[in-house]
Amino acid sequence: MSVLRPLDKLPSLNTATILLVGTEDALLQQLADSMLKEDCASELKVHLAKSLPLPSSVNRPRIDLIVFVVNLHSKYSLQNTEESLHHVDASFFLGKVCFLATGAGRESHCSIHRHTVVRLAHSYQSPLLYCDLEVEGFRATMAQRLVRMLQICAGHVPGVSALNLLSLLRSSEGPSLEDM
Amino acid sequence: MEKQPQKQAADQPADSGGEDGAVGPSQVAGAQAASSEDRMTLLLRLRAQTKQQLLEYKSILDASEEKTPEQIMQEKQIEAKIEDLENEIEQAKITFEIKQLAINSVLVDSMKHLLKLNKLVMKSQQESWDLEEKLLDIRKKRLQLKQASESKLLEIQTEKNKQKIDLDGMENSERIKIIRQNLQMEIKITTVIQHVFQNLILGSKVNWAEDSALKEIVLQLEKNVDMI
Repeated sequence: MSVLRPLDKLPSLNTATILLVGTEDALLQQLADSMLKEDCASELKVHLAKSLPLPSSVNRPRIDLIVFVVNLHSKYSLQNTEESLHHVDASFFLGKVCFLATGAGRESHCSIHRHTVVRLAHSYQSPLLYCDLEVEGFRATMAQRLVRMLQICAGHVPGVSALNLLSLLRSSEGPSLEDM
Repeated sequence: MEKQPQKQAADQPADSGGEDGAVGPSQVAGAQAASSEDRMTLLLRLRAQTKQQLLEYKSILDASEEKTPEQIMQEKQIEAKIEDLENEIEQAKITFEIKQLAINSVLVDSMKHLLKLNKLVMKSQQESWDLEEKLLDIRKKRLQLKQASESKLLEIQTEKNKQKIDLDGMENSERIKIIRQNLQMEIKITTVIQHVFQNLILGSKVNWAEDSALKEIVLQLEKNVDMI
């Protein structure tokens, strides 16, 4: 199917699936490894993709959280993300999509302005996280955060839903006034 | 061209069953090999999960039943409307929290009251237990006293029986017979003497009623010695 819908399939028992979409294979693989090392009561499944739409031939479980990894060093990464976003159903953006900007540490290499990503995240009403995926320590912390988010989005945490989390994570400032 | 790397990447789900998954299968295997307590925890966790997921699906169903606005609105209007709805959600959350706090305080009060009552109940139960103990002691003492009196009365009875037997025994002894015979003899002699004196006084034809001394003697002689 060309468009990813959040509720097409029924959830499998005790399983949470995350989809990492990004152009940098190595970074995605490293992030996936860190996430699988995390302590989690439920089974974790990590799927990696360069871009959407995903081929429909593969039998995959219901995806609980999509993380778009944008590398601030390459404009191609942003372009790829924007194109992939068209293939995601609108109901996914109710807390099950997250943007991850990497490479903000090395300011000199950044070809995308930070505010671009902020605006993108704001227009899709989804949270934006910053992490330098190349640094081991930051990667581990981010992996932990993502695992917690994934658990909530998969419905494994009683009393908190993805929408709830979204409203909690909403930052009070939109894109800065300079851009407007 | 682009599809191929896509397919490759998507086809290597680094899932917990795969190469890096030391975590995944061990979790499943661990759950299976675990004791019944772990199984219980797992079941409870699954139950909580399923409940939460059911809640999410229900809420989405409810949301999809609402009618979406037909007209095409401007983006600014949509954003304003979204903000309004979010504010509504925040208000609902705040009122819910306040209600929870109120209920909690009432709960805490009633629990304190319950604790007080429980202490009172325990105290009165302890008191009644003590009183019952005392009652039991007093009953025991009464029983002991009764038994003592019973034994004493038994002793008295045996003593009396012994005395009676002794008495009966004594009656048959020889000495008593002799003494009795002597007694009879003396009685007879005394009676004779009495009669003699009586007849002496009567025979003398004296008016014994006038003289007090004589009267006394005559009356005394009338006393039958047998009756001692």
